[in-house]
Amino acid sequence: MGENNTAGFNDDQEQKFDEKTFEDLYRRMYPTLKKYAFYLVKDVEEAQLILNDVFISIWKNGTILSNEKAYLFRAVKNAATNYHKAPKTDFWHIDSEEEAPEIIDLKETPAQAFQNKDRNRILYTLIDQMPERRRLIFYMYRIDGFSYKEIAALLDISVRTVEDHLVKGFEFLQQKVLKNRSEFR
Amino acid sequence: MDQETWKLVLEYLAVKENPNSSNAEIKRLEQKLSDWAANDPDRKEQLEEALLLWEDTAQLPDDGSWEESFANIKQQLDAAPAKKLKIVRWWPAAIAAACIGALIFFVTGDKKTLIAPQNAIAWTTKTAAPGKIVDVMLPDSSEIWLNSGSSISFPQNLKHADIRTVKLSGEAFFKVKRDPTHPFVVKSQNIQTRVLGTSFNIRAWKGYNPQVTVLTGKVAVSRDSAGVQSAAVHLLPNQKVVYDIKSVRLMREDVEEAKVSIDWRTGKMNFDRTPMEEVFQTISHKYAVKIVTDQSFKSCQLTAKFDNVEISEVMKTISLTFDIHYTINKQTIYIKGGKCN
Repeated sequence: MGENNTAGFNDDQEQKFDEKTFEDLYRRMYPTLKKYAFYLVKDVEEAQLILNDVFISIWKNGTILSNEKAYLFRAVKNAATNYHKAPKTDFWHIDSEEEAPEIIDLKETPAQAFQNKDRNRILYTLIDQMPERRRLIFYMYRIDGFSYKEIAALLDISVRTVEDHLVKGFEFLQQKVLKNRSEFR
Repeated sequence: MDQETWKLVLEYLAVKENPNSSNAEIKRLEQKLSDWAANDPDRKEQLEEALLLWEDTAQLPDDGSWEESFANIKQQLDAAPAKKLKIVRWWPAAIAAACIGALIFFVTGDKKTLIAPQNAIAWTTKTAAPGKIVDVMLPDSSEIWLNSGSSISFPQNLKHADIRTVKLSGEAFFKVKRDPTHPFVVKSQNIQTRVLGTSFNIRAWKGYNPQVTVLTGKVAVSRDSAGVQSAAVHLLPNQKVVYDIKSVRLMREDVEEAKVSIDWRTGKMNFDRTPMEEVFQTISHKYAVKIVTDQSFKSCQLTAKFDNVEISEVMKTISLTFDIHYTINKQTIYIKGGKCN
């Protein structure tokens, strides 16, 4: 975890961004950050705009951030606060503990994917079938290396809820894998 | 594997991967897990599977979904450093955005691009004198009505600018000539309003919360602080946004009749539970007077309609409503006493 740290860029001499560094940062942060922005505003276009704004501002700032990950998530959260949700999406936010039922699109069940034996890809196909919040928490924890506590703060939910989602997420993965074991191995 | 065990597995993995964890702590959790699996081969297998799952989810397969999005950003950024000549390069991005259905698209924070034309091209400023309302036709055929004491600045090349940027101080009603490839941007105190072709009213008097009311079309309003824009609030007809200077927030509201917001064009004044501070401000612009009060009227609200009447008529109504005394001396009105009802 935490493999996305900025070790080596933390020198006091404020290392300048070059395009490659910027692109790398974008590539690393995009998957989870985009989901996070969408989670906050529930609007694909708005989420994209927020994301672009945040990245453009750090590019203009021109220096490498010491804790880019925390900074980016906070910046997205701040930008989303200024976005005013329609009442409908407010309602969506209220049903905090109860997730939407797990609707699994059977078309997407990776029968073919199982055959190509690419476990990593299969697992993420399965992860992408999780309910929205659970998927986001999974990404934040596993890909971005945030702690339970950090995730709880960014999503305004309890640490217990974060843990619960992760446990259920892994449980779901395990059940799927065991069920498909014959094809999987 | 049950949820309690999964919790334990996750705790064990987090501790194990944390370089600050002590060996004792890792051993303790390892022991707990092997106790759980004990002599049960089925459990052992489940545990192995769980650890494998952990490893195989460490990395996200790159599906390239970021690329398109990044290309979009890059296009905006490439335009920025090369001031004048490269400005043209970012509007393909605008077209792309329009194509995917984003009717309104912002190059937020792109200060350099937006200001660049100012250096090279002459700007014109039109002002409406106190007590007067002025109708201004812009070079791109957009029409603007300026309220008393307001002014608008626009570049000579507005018609051919990639972004049609104008600056407003005070209040104005805009009828923007539609041109989807050249967004129209109004910069005013604290806020930036971006449209393609619509009609809307901007009220941006110095020292008061600015607001934008939409009559037709779609409008995007963002906070503007030193050239850096916040995420935009989108408005449809009969909606308005008020920027609260104190809380630094844009607040969207529905309005019953957006047309009321431009009654000032025909000399009408419409107050609907309007704070007295704002009422006095409106009166002072319309009648080109200065109002001096010895009491704060901030908490009082007025609901009244005035159909292009004399100032004395307006003052009479207010004096009856709030029990005030007033004297008019040339262009200054002095107000004494008064209480909210």
